[in-house]
Amino acid sequence: MAKVIVKDLHKSYGDNEVLKGLNLEVEDNEVVCMIGPSGSGKSTFLRCLNDLEVPTQGQIVISGYDLSDKGTNINLVRENIGMVFQHFNLFPHLSVMQNITLAPVQLKKESKETADTTAHELLKTVGLADKADAMPNSLSGGQQQRVAIARALAMKPKIMLFDEPTSALDPEMVGDVLDVMKKLAAGGMTMIVVTHEMGFAKEVADRVVFMADGLIQESGKPDDVFDHPKSPRLQDFLNKVINV
Amino acid sequence: MKKWQVAVVMVLATLGSWFAFASTAQAKTYTIATDTTFAPFEFQAKGGKYKGIDIDILNAIAKKENINYKLKAISFGAAVQQLSANQVDGVIAGMNVTPERKQTFDFSDAYYTSGVVMAVAKDSSVKNFKDLKGKTVALKTGTAGATYAKSIESKYGFKIKYFNDSNNMYNDVKVGNSAACFEDYPVMSYGIKNGIALKIVSKQYEAGDYGFAVKKGKNAELLKKFNAGLKAIKADGQYKKIVDKYLHSSESSLTGETASSRTFVGLFTQNLGTIGNGLWMTLELTVISIILATVMGMILGVLGVMPGKLGPAISSTIIYIFRGMPLMVLAFFIYIGFPDLIGHGFKIPAFIAGMITLMLNEGAYTGAFVKGGFQAVDNGQMEAARSLGLPYWTAMRKVIMPQGIRIMIPSFINQFIITLKDTSILSVIGIVELTQTGTLIIARNFEGFKIWLMIAIIYLVIITLLTWLSNWVQRRMS
Repeated sequence: MAKVIVKDLHKSYGDNEVLKGLNLEVEDNEVVCMIGPSGSGKSTFLRCLNDLEVPTQGQIVISGYDLSDKGTNINLVRENIGMVFQHFNLFPHLSVMQNITLAPVQLKKESKETADTTAHELLKTVGLADKADAMPNSLSGGQQQRVAIARALAMKPKIMLFDEPTSALDPEMVGDVLDVMKKLAAGGMTMIVVTHEMGFAKEVADRVVFMADGLIQESGKPDDVFDHPKSPRLQDFLNKVINV
Repeated sequence: MKKWQVAVVMVLATLGSWFAFASTAQAKTYTIATDTTFAPFEFQAKGGKYKGIDIDILNAIAKKENINYKLKAISFGAAVQQLSANQVDGVIAGMNVTPERKQTFDFSDAYYTSGVVMAVAKDSSVKNFKDLKGKTVALKTGTAGATYAKSIESKYGFKIKYFNDSNNMYNDVKVGNSAACFEDYPVMSYGIKNGIALKIVSKQYEAGDYGFAVKKGKNAELLKKFNAGLKAIKADGQYKKIVDKYLHSSESSLTGETASSRTFVGLFTQNLGTIGNGLWMTLELTVISIILATVMGMILGVLGVMPGKLGPAISSTIIYIFRGMPLMVLAFFIYIGFPDLIGHGFKIPAFIAGMITLMLNEGAYTGAFVKGGFQAVDNGQMEAARSLGLPYWTAMRKVIMPQGIRIMIPSFINQFIITLKDTSILSVIGIVELTQTGTLIIARNFEGFKIWLMIAIIYLVIITLLTWLSNWVQRRMS
């Protein structure tokens, strides 16, 4: 069974329908990059996957959990889904270390000591081994985002969701964050990445999904999507993005 | 248990025991209310004890008739209201027997007969009622003087201004805001003898009887004993001795104060004990109220940001009600209105009523800024916490609250200072805190300026200390 199954997903805010019936399946170990113009519903879609937005209609099944089923314990599902936000959302009153260990310790997944060890390893992975005791505000944007990735990984998720993880970063910081994500992908993590980094999508994605106007317009292997776009909507988008 | 939990349990236990104490007050001891500032009938002497014609008469009668009683000195208005609300058993407070009052109260035989006089500032040109045309007259609510002045208001064309307190009324005349005041003769003459710069310019009008009052149809036995005792002390000369003692001597001989103690420092050292007690009461009220209001405010704040509609609706409603109600109205409602509503002789001690009043009022304000503080925490914080799998309350406790509380600290400090100052309003229900202490001291020595200056300085000093403490806490937290 596919890891993520989305069927006929709709989401409206009042009269404004943002998602108009999406269908998508993501396999184990697959890296899916979602691209498309602003306002096309990519972020809303991603947020629906861990119930930060409640769909108006449709079904989402993640690792066998049906989100629309009232009996599903959403906290348990979320433990299996790591999420990285555009604005990092680190907890400013906690140190880097405490940011990473808060959830595993609170949810009794790990003892304080084990969580600390795990956190140190994760910080090494994201290249911030020396920042364990730093406060988030003393870090650069790129460093904060890498801590946020480590924080999500600390829960040992089965899927990682990235919501425009590099959009709020200075250009020179983007590379470090993308490198961490590449490492993750190479390690076999199932990932759904909403991004404007076409280079990253081309290089890392197993599949690229193009969204516009609340619908998936086209999807396929990166080479197909980037080099042989079929729909005029995608051709238009790529022209604009690549010719900037 | 964590420290704060222990504190909460202790506060609740204390509250509980107070209530228990209140409801098991012994049946045989009567609570008799009197005014606080009606010399020579009642006034607070040095050391906080009450003295005066009423007090001594009551005491003499009680001895003769074996009446057990507890004296409760509150403002005249509060005493009358509490008697009608069954909060006290009797009132002796230079209370005029009027047909209107007889509807609600049963009175004893008259124990004193007094007339109303008009008094004006020493240097005033007002000589009779005609001179009052177009001017303002100061009156004390509920007195015979007020009733009399009201009855001739339109005839002589003056305006009326009401006070709750004799001393404020005298001062208004002294400084010239009002042209004259109307007061019972013995009270006025005692005041003038003790340094009030007024003069009496009229004869005594509308001689009226002072009576001891109980609620209509209640405490008939108490009334009977009072009448019997009154007859007895009149017969054996005690009565005359008491009245003469107060009408023919100056305040200093009664309270032991000498002229040299009328300097600022002298007054301060003289009244140190009384002021200290008042200050202690103010601090006690402040600290307990701050704790309770903070607990209530936190609950309201958390309810206010809860998902769903019910929590925020409850929070907004409670904040709306208690923030919208003047503190004084709330205090009267809880102390006098609420027991009346419940009936069955239910009583709330003034201190508890005051504490609940402050808790509700300050708690509502605290709730409003706590809610605001939580809302000021970026939405992404809750989302990030929830996306890690933390349940709502864990996310609230570990992520939102610590950040929100940091935002709220200046508001908390502000609220603490407001709470401290607001305790002064509770003097209306008879709590003898710092402000009321000032009123009481002035009622016997008439040193308004010096005493209020003293009280003001004390408030400023405590508020300064409180601010320093708060700043220190704030620095430590950041």
